[in-house]
Amino acid sequence: MSITAAIMVGILMGIVFGFALEKSRVFEPGMIVGQMQLRNFIMLKVFLSAVATGAVVLAVLNGFGFVKLQPKATLYAADLVGGLLLGVGIALSGACPGTTLAQVGVGYKDALFTLLGGLFGAVAFSYMQPWLDRELIGSGPKLIFTDLAGLSYWQGALSLAGILIIALFLLERARSWRNELGNNLDGDSRLESRHLLAAQIELRVTRKQL
Amino acid sequence: MYALTSKAWSPYAAGLIIGLLQIPAFLLIETALGASSAYVTVGGAAVSLIDPSLLVNDYVAKHVAITAKNLWQVAMVGGIAIGAFISMKMSGAQREPISPIWTRALGSSSCAVRYTVAFSGGFLMLFGARIADGCTSGHGLSGIAQLSVGSTIAVFAMFVGGIATASVALRRI
Repeated sequence: MSITAAIMVGILMGIVFGFALEKSRVFEPGMIVGQMQLRNFIMLKVFLSAVATGAVVLAVLNGFGFVKLQPKATLYAADLVGGLLLGVGIALSGACPGTTLAQVGVGYKDALFTLLGGLFGAVAFSYMQPWLDRELIGSGPKLIFTDLAGLSYWQGALSLAGILIIALFLLERARSWRNELGNNLDGDSRLESRHLLAAQIELRVTRKQL
Repeated sequence: MYALTSKAWSPYAAGLIIGLLQIPAFLLIETALGASSAYVTVGGAAVSLIDPSLLVNDYVAKHVAITAKNLWQVAMVGGIAIGAFISMKMSGAQREPISPIWTRALGSSSCAVRYTVAFSGGFLMLFGARIADGCTSGHGLSGIAQLSVGSTIAVFAMFVGGIATASVALRRI
């Protein structure tokens, strides 16, 4: 594919991606911090739905031989250390590398600082890459679970999708997504509690008057 | 219910749409969805204008090269901002310049404090994602769907880091 065509495809895919992130509200700092404080599960719901869909899509595309899988190398130390730092960053910025741009798009000013920090982080890594590669990252095999278990990828992928769909049904039954949006649909439930407080005070005043 | 002008969609519908994006990614670009490499492409290209010696590093040279895959990801990450902007305009959703949760999470309403924390968070996020060779998209969405062992470890560590930080360093939102 030509570079121009790839850029066009990228922009179109990004627009769809950004649309889904904004409509589901999963990119809101209130949703992401809320998920990490285990008070709000919208992020997990979007994430697991996307994983389940991706697994079904790839089971079909790979099972019928249309595409090759592109798994990343298994690098135990790097995956662990890098993943931990990534998680710390996600909590502090209330965003991840993709959703940062959705926050920029809707006009969150602090997201510009997250974006700038991200660019500096990527450049800092680039300077340290030769050393980090030698000391921490190294190389590893591209392991996938079904190869280890001696199954076909599509069997494992469809099983994962099935398990995730059941898990999502149970999660939704325990916590309906509509109740997790918050008053301004940004995962912030403070307004609700403030209204509740106002109602309680009013009740107390009315009781006294009676 | 799922009109383009709605203010909120079900997380399951949004997840379905995002998952379907793997189809054009694999079929047209022969890669999986991801976002964090784009930061190396943009940051590396910008800094190499000032310090061309950065390009001696194969890792940087590979990311900064004008290839369909590199520019596709930069375009997609940029497109996310456009898509979110259009969606917001179509629904008429209104927001404050900084999410109101931060005053409580940080225990301060100062913009400077929030900007500093956001910058540090962004820095750690990309530094970590590059060490792990992927982020919430590359390891999370694509890696887990491909049943990758390394991605499963990275996503587990990501949630451990995120939950620990949000519980210890941030206040209840």
